[in-house]
Amino acid sequence: MAAFTAYTIIGLSLGAVFSLAALGIVLIYRTTGVLNFAHGAMGMFSTFVAWQIFYGWSHPGWPGWLQVAVAVVAAIVFAALLGLFLELAVFRWVRTRPPVVKAVITIGVLLALQSAASLIWKNNAYHLPIYIAPQGWSWTVADVPISANAVLIVVVSLGLALGLAAFLRYTSFGRSMRAVSDSPTSASLWGVPVGKVGAVSWMLGSVIAAVAGILITPFINFDTTSLTLLIIDALAAALIGGMTSLPLTVVGGFALGLLETYPTIWIQSIGFPRLVALVVILAVLIVRNPRGLRVAA
Amino acid sequence: MIRICLALVAFALLARLPVGFDVGFQFDAALAVIWGFGLLSLVLLTGYVGQVSLCQATFAGVGAYAAGMMFSTFHVDYGVAIAVGVLAAFTLGLVVGLPALRLYGITLAIVTLGIALVFDRYVFQDHIFEWFTGGSGGWRVEGATLFGLRMDSSRHLLAAYLVLLVLFCLVGLLMVNLHESGAGRRFRAIRDSELAAATVGVNLTRYKLLAFGLSAAIAGLGGSFYPLVAGSVSPQPFWVFTSLQFAAIVVLMGVRYVPAAALGGAFMSFVPDVLTRFGHGTLFNRYSYDISYDWFQIAVGVLLIVQLILLPDGVWGDLRGRVVNARSAMRGFASRRVKVA
Repeated sequence: MAAFTAYTIIGLSLGAVFSLAALGIVLIYRTTGVLNFAHGAMGMFSTFVAWQIFYGWSHPGWPGWLQVAVAVVAAIVFAALLGLFLELAVFRWVRTRPPVVKAVITIGVLLALQSAASLIWKNNAYHLPIYIAPQGWSWTVADVPISANAVLIVVVSLGLALGLAAFLRYTSFGRSMRAVSDSPTSASLWGVPVGKVGAVSWMLGSVIAAVAGILITPFINFDTTSLTLLIIDALAAALIGGMTSLPLTVVGGFALGLLETYPTIWIQSIGFPRLVALVVILAVLIVRNPRGLRVAA
Repeated sequence: MIRICLALVAFALLARLPVGFDVGFQFDAALAVIWGFGLLSLVLLTGYVGQVSLCQATFAGVGAYAAGMMFSTFHVDYGVAIAVGVLAAFTLGLVVGLPALRLYGITLAIVTLGIALVFDRYVFQDHIFEWFTGGSGGWRVEGATLFGLRMDSSRHLLAAYLVLLVLFCLVGLLMVNLHESGAGRRFRAIRDSELAAATVGVNLTRYKLLAFGLSAAIAGLGGSFYPLVAGSVSPQPFWVFTSLQFAAIVVLMGVRYVPAAALGGAFMSFVPDVLTRFGHGTLFNRYSYDISYDWFQIAVGVLLIVQLILLPDGVWGDLRGRVVNARSAMRGFASRRVKVA
């Protein structure tokens, strides 16, 4: 029973990150029509920026919380700039192209970011994870230790999801974003700044990916490839939400996290969770009508 | 007829090219054809039939492992091992084609990426599948005799290269002919609009499955030579990033053209090796530089983005278009001169 609870906590932490990553994918897909295969790679790169600042250029005199804060803020700023750059330099120029072409362009982004990171931080090197909450902090509930980082990751992911939903619902810019996701053409006829909406979506998506990447580091193999390849789990969660619904996406992320974690009680295999993700993707696509996916732009 | 001549000329030009170079470059030449088969499989699947796939390296890997297993475990003739490798890849292609019957475009890309990841992380690496992958060491192939030619991974590399090149020219020729045949017209109809193709009576189930099976078989044919050429099989050459590179490079070179696959194969095999061998040193005795494999993949990514924005038909397609334009312009110029005279 204790093992089951412990695995539940791991599954929920993983699921929180899947939901966060999937939220960014859905956001970008709905407002710009780009299915972003490079989402994991973008989060990975920003996470390594945080790692570099935290471990590479650490200031021994500073208190621990300040070092963490500086690293996280720098990574978030970098992620926003990365998203803005991609929108302005690449995706603005292909807005009218078919969705498949845009998706193939994101594969180019993925390859470039992945190998740039591997060039700077080495592919298979061991990297110390970034602990937002100090590593020792934990509570023991019914003989199961719950680390503060696991709680933090779930709280942050639910908070960001709620915040994003509130932003889309109650602010006027959020209304613009929803208008663009319904129909970019009629939104632009109403005077909605479609280009600005796209840029903000890319920045927001990229920042959410960075947060997800930083939070997941204590729970996975922290190297360039495994963060990049989280994309398939995030896509599975996004597909559960039908590429539209934010609440369903979050639920899907948590469900997938648990589904991928429970089998590891019996099956000691690092590859088996990938099979779970594939089965979930196939099940969702075959049960739902795949042609029902809404395509913006 | 002219196509057969072109294929013969291409073969004659390429056949003697690696002679006299060291083993490393001869291996690159053979690897170029193997990757060329992977890209050729995408020319069929994406260029002709319009189906996206991000798991072509998986098909090549299955071909490689199946051939390695047959040769090492059952000690069959290497020709039989290749046949089994192609058959295994063809079967997997049919299986992957099943969900593709209901999917298209980006959803198909997601599913095939998932399949590539499952094979990369699970099937090729997990101990459950050791009977197929030969464990962490992989299968070792010291050498074999094929069509009476002695082949191995060091002194007799060129024999394997020649056989690969013959097969590549043959398959390329068959593909160009397929493009013009009845099946090819049905494939193109599916590419342009599945709905319209089904309306005029194209059997979507049969032709989509056929496309996936044939494409996987082509990738597997190249892959099944890999154990012979490299001496062993390991998961890394067939991991998910090779699949992504296949997709990127074939689009970069021109996804609708058979020669673009050859060009892409050479690009994918020679450029990284040349970079790792000669890409480091000191410039003007002051600035030391070190250009590694990673720079190749960065270049592929950036070139792909630039190409898709500026040259949608790929490098080969763009060059071909320029030649065709220039020729028709010259013809127009000549006829005008005739009229004036």
